[in-house]
Amino acid sequence: MNPITLIARKEGGELLMSGRGLAWLLALSIIMSVLSLLLVSNTELSLLDNAQVVYMVMGTVTTLGALLAVVLGSDAVAGERERGSLMPLLLAPVTPSQIVFGKMGGQIAGWVVMYLLSLPYVWAVGSSGQNLTQAVTYLALFGTPVVLGFGFLGIALSARLRSVRSALLTSLITLMLLASPLLLGPSLRQSTIGQLFDAVNPFSAAVNTFDSVVIDSQPISMQLTRLSIALVWLVLTAVFAIRSMRKMEI
Amino acid sequence: MKKIIVRLLLTLFIMGAGNARAADSLSISLAPEQANPPSPQMGDWLKFHSVIENPGTQTAHGVVTWISLVQVDPGHEQPVDLEDWSAHKAVTQAILQPGQKVNVDWPMRLIQAGAYRVVISAVDRETGHVMTSPFVDFQVRRKPVVESGRILPVAFGVPVLVLGMIAWRRYRRSTAV
Repeated sequence: MNPITLIARKEGGELLMSGRGLAWLLALSIIMSVLSLLLVSNTELSLLDNAQVVYMVMGTVTTLGALLAVVLGSDAVAGERERGSLMPLLLAPVTPSQIVFGKMGGQIAGWVVMYLLSLPYVWAVGSSGQNLTQAVTYLALFGTPVVLGFGFLGIALSARLRSVRSALLTSLITLMLLASPLLLGPSLRQSTIGQLFDAVNPFSAAVNTFDSVVIDSQPISMQLTRLSIALVWLVLTAVFAIRSMRKMEI
Repeated sequence: MKKIIVRLLLTLFIMGAGNARAADSLSISLAPEQANPPSPQMGDWLKFHSVIENPGTQTAHGVVTWISLVQVDPGHEQPVDLEDWSAHKAVTQAILQPGQKVNVDWPMRLIQAGAYRVVISAVDRETGHVMTSPFVDFQVRRKPVVESGRILPVAFGVPVLVLGMIAWRRYRRSTAV
């Protein structure tokens, strides 16, 4: 069997097949349920806000996916080191890039499950049906590169910083910085610095696309630049992760 | 003094001549489509039909016609931002000959509950005032933005499903041992 598939199956199995491993999935479903119930209790929302509710859920799912990715990525190499299982992995006939992509296999499985789990919530809150299909499609199209990019970043930092705690802390701070557009809103990002930040931030690309597609019903032709930003982020973080694995000190 | 009076009269004459070239006034009618729902609610589409007519003897140039919507609920009187309500915010007509009519449909998606008043306004290049249609009032019924009937089963069902999966895994593991 291909080494990447082998590592991916092991990682995915630990994440999804063990009873304890499924605890994160329970936590995720509880967070989404609480968010949905809070929305039910708000009677002052206009029909326009229904699209905003869907947008909000999409942003939350992407953030939670990125959070899962940085946690798993931070543990990917440094965790193996701390558990004493890194040396056997490095002695196995696998290249650094195979290790990285194998580890990402587990993250992809986690993200796919998280995405599927979020679909009932997106359907439930999108009662008006406004751009619901687009919401589901664009969450996959933009959420996937953004989330997996954070996974690659976590692996890279995990390899370079040699400690789960340091890698996790650095990854989380990076995630908070990049995910700040979700909290700040568009009006606070109108300054030159805010616009520059938006122009290069993959998280902004995803969030602005969700806004553009779900709330403003704009076509995909207007999202291509943002999609390229998300894809560039994915490629750059993948390269960073592979280089970090290659340069890693035992 | 005489010169000043003559100049003043001349100016008034020129201004009067300028106005004489403009269409006296445009006639604007506004009526809801018969196919509109009798008791519309949030999410429904309404269509209003208007006819802009030049009943005068002069050609009207550069006619711009637009729709305005005002919320008239007591205590909530305010103009409505039509960005999300209406597909057509303004219609332009380069020339409107005497007797010529232009039919315009104004589709509108009802975004928020309340009592509303819609009016069509128009200006042309020469006339110095806004011409308006009669008002049309309508009421939009509230529709729950998030339906508890959809959310509650999902919000309670999904965590229970995940808990069931965890319990099943544990049971399988314990029976295997």
